[in-house]
Amino acid sequence: MLRPVLNLEEVSSFIGPFHIVQGVSLAVYAGEAVVILGRNGAGKTTTLRTIMGLLPLKGGKIELGGTSLAGLPTHRIARYGLGYVPEDCVVFNMLTVEENLQLAMHVRDSETRGRLAYALDLFPDLKVAYRRFAANLSGGQRQMLAIARTLINDNKIILIDEPSKGLAPIIVDRVAEALIEVKKRSTLILVEQNFALACAVGDRYYILDSGKSVKSGIVRELELDEELQNKYLSVGA
Amino acid sequence: MNSPLFKLPNYKALASGKLDLLLPLALTLLAAVLLVMPQLVGLVIVTLLTRIFVLSVFGMSYDLLRGYSGIINLGHALFFGGGTYIAGIVFANFGVSPAMLLLAFVGAVLYSMAAAFLMGKIAFRGGSVVACAMITLALGEIVRHLAETWRSVTHGADGLTFPIPIFLRDRVTFYYYALVFMVVMMLLLRQFILSPTGRVLMAIRENEQRAIFLGYNTAAYKLVALQVAGIACGLSGVMFALSSRFANTDLLTVQQTLNALLVTIVGGTGTLYGAIVGTAFVQLAQFYLLGLRALHPIFERWLLFFGAIYVFVVLFMPTGIVGLYFRLRDTWARRAGRN
Amino acid sequence: MDTFFILLINGLADSALIFLMAAGLSIILGMMGILNFAHGTMFLWGGYTSVWVFAQTGSFWLGLLAAVAVGGLMGLIFERLFIRPVYGRVTAQILITLGLMIVFTDLARLLWGATALPALRPSLLDGMVVILGIRIVEYRLFLIGVGLAVAVGIHLLINRTRIGMVMRAGVQSPEMVRALGIDIAKYFSFVFAGGAALAALGGALYVPLVGSVWSGMGMDNQVLAFIVVVIGGMGSFVGTAMGSLFIGLTGALVAWFFPPAAVVVNVLLMALVLVFKPTGLFGWEGKSR
Repeated sequence: MLRPVLNLEEVSSFIGPFHIVQGVSLAVYAGEAVVILGRNGAGKTTTLRTIMGLLPLKGGKIELGGTSLAGLPTHRIARYGLGYVPEDCVVFNMLTVEENLQLAMHVRDSETRGRLAYALDLFPDLKVAYRRFAANLSGGQRQMLAIARTLINDNKIILIDEPSKGLAPIIVDRVAEALIEVKKRSTLILVEQNFALACAVGDRYYILDSGKSVKSGIVRELELDEELQNKYLSVGA
Repeated sequence: MNSPLFKLPNYKALASGKLDLLLPLALTLLAAVLLVMPQLVGLVIVTLLTRIFVLSVFGMSYDLLRGYSGIINLGHALFFGGGTYIAGIVFANFGVSPAMLLLAFVGAVLYSMAAAFLMGKIAFRGGSVVACAMITLALGEIVRHLAETWRSVTHGADGLTFPIPIFLRDRVTFYYYALVFMVVMMLLLRQFILSPTGRVLMAIRENEQRAIFLGYNTAAYKLVALQVAGIACGLSGVMFALSSRFANTDLLTVQQTLNALLVTIVGGTGTLYGAIVGTAFVQLAQFYLLGLRALHPIFERWLLFFGAIYVFVVLFMPTGIVGLYFRLRDTWARRAGRN
Repeated sequence: MDTFFILLINGLADSALIFLMAAGLSIILGMMGILNFAHGTMFLWGGYTSVWVFAQTGSFWLGLLAAVAVGGLMGLIFERLFIRPVYGRVTAQILITLGLMIVFTDLARLLWGATALPALRPSLLDGMVVILGIRIVEYRLFLIGVGLAVAVGIHLLINRTRIGMVMRAGVQSPEMVRALGIDIAKYFSFVFAGGAALAALGGALYVPLVGSVWSGMGMDNQVLAFIVVVIGGMGSFVGTAMGSLFIGLTGALVAWFFPPAAVVVNVLLMALVLVFKPTGLFGWEGKSR
């Protein structure tokens, strides 16, 4: 029985007084891409933030290959090899593309430089805009920069929150291509509303509803099951 | 408790029958004691209590801004000191007839209204709480500086001594006037808080953005709050003048504003009587500590203690004495409910 | 013409001092969102420390060094013990730093007395210099030099070093910086200590200019620093530099022609700027915390 690289058991967390995540359990295995689906407000983003330690864990367990992440500060969790691409990218406007990538570096060795080169090959746009301030990038470029940032270090798991948000369809395709590439080197946990992107990239899925994980399975099967899609993913039910 | 002074209505459900009686009973007892007090104690205590009554209004006016409207005004002392100076200047230059007393009050009110208007117009433009704090600080310091340099009128840092109306000179008589003043001001401020304007202010305190989205001109409301608080504060300044018969620029300093801030923190913010409790506590502590001067010169450094108490309270007791009371009552009520 | 030049030098020297004081405040505010109301007392301690060390050792430069060290230490201690516990709670921060201001100002009064102490200039800088036929006070030139050096130094720090990168990123999103594996708390400590050290340096340099150190100067100068930060735009370093220049120059003008109006003029200027641009000359929308 393969051990998951990341395991969540009955995770519970709050935003202020609001109990957003009420019992989420999921397991992620090495090399796969897991998509987290669900309606707005289901707790997808909150789950990612809880994993990263940006929100305190109020119940349940989060284990990274056996090590508990509960109570650890965010920067320690990140150093364990978790990369994070938040909703709205959050690339640093007052830094250039180059500086954004440099900031992400944990160590300055040849391996890191190698990974930087790989990231730039994956996103040639960034090579062109290398000295530009991130504030002057387009939406698509910002998204690419945010993803590239996670490739600089040897991150075992990359958490990505709604990368397609606000992007034109053609850019979304580029992002999908990039993610499929990234999947070859790292494990992905992807939160997405864009079903097509989720199906293109994801291997397995978990569906969240009202803060709980309610269904999981293989993306291929979900793609074909319209009833299931309507039940958990459509507007108003 | 059905009294609208309590801003935490959910405690209504938790309080047991016994505790419901306790508070009105205690208050009545307190009122009786206060009325009889001057007959029982010496003039020193009477003066101390008078100070507490007057300074409570200072504290309440401050809490109107901070506790109820979410505004931090670091120049609040300009209303207080201004009121004191205006009274002092009137009495010193124009005599102490009842007409002059009226002039003093009216003058203080007009001054407070004008100052509040200017202050509000400038400070609330900054947008954030931080900007407002900085700007009000600067404005308060300006007034203090003006008072210091305008020596011909204010006698600068040396201070101004002045006579007061004859019928108020008896300490015991003034004690009752001060007590009435405090009660009346508290009722007036309470009315303001319960009014629709007051409700809007509390909404602004909770989330100003949302209030703006709901269509409220928050700057205008805050200006009104500042006017009301400023006037109340100016009036307390006049009363202070009548009590101390002396005015100097210390009354216009940031430290003076912090006195108000301290009592609202110690007593409990967001409740008018919290200011009263806090003022009583701080004044009594100061009185006691300064009394210990004979023992050791370190007690001379009131400011040090003040600052230390202050930091301690902000760190560990942000809800103040009243908040502590509510938490305790809540715990007791729950325990009583379980048995 | 001579008057103009002297006024210019005076104004620039004042700007340099104000800049030193305001820069620390502005950086702390911009990066950590904290308005350090204890800034004035760090300025004060800088002044007293330098005077005391100068008197003890006979070395002005040692005095400056000591002032910077004391300021930095104060900053570290304040940040660790008093600011961190209330991080995120704006009101509590304001209140605590104010409380610290009062305590430490009174502590200074306790240690050094309530009367003003004389502050001397080092013999090296105690004279006049003649430039283009005009007599200029040497010390003022020195101040301008220090101000420029510090401005350049800070600029380099912010734009050319990793610390600067973290600072620029931290202004926007401390959370994301953490998500990159950087312990931003350490940087906060550094920034706060640095800002405090700058304030202390300002104090140490200020007292020889005016000739004495007294316990009230902390609050007076803090208010001035606040005005500069508001005018320049909260969180904008360039804004602070410009604001310092603006206030310093107008201040010199006013001081020459109509001294009593000095304090009032500054507030009027601030009011004026706020009327036309509420976020300050260089401030940006959505930066209010």
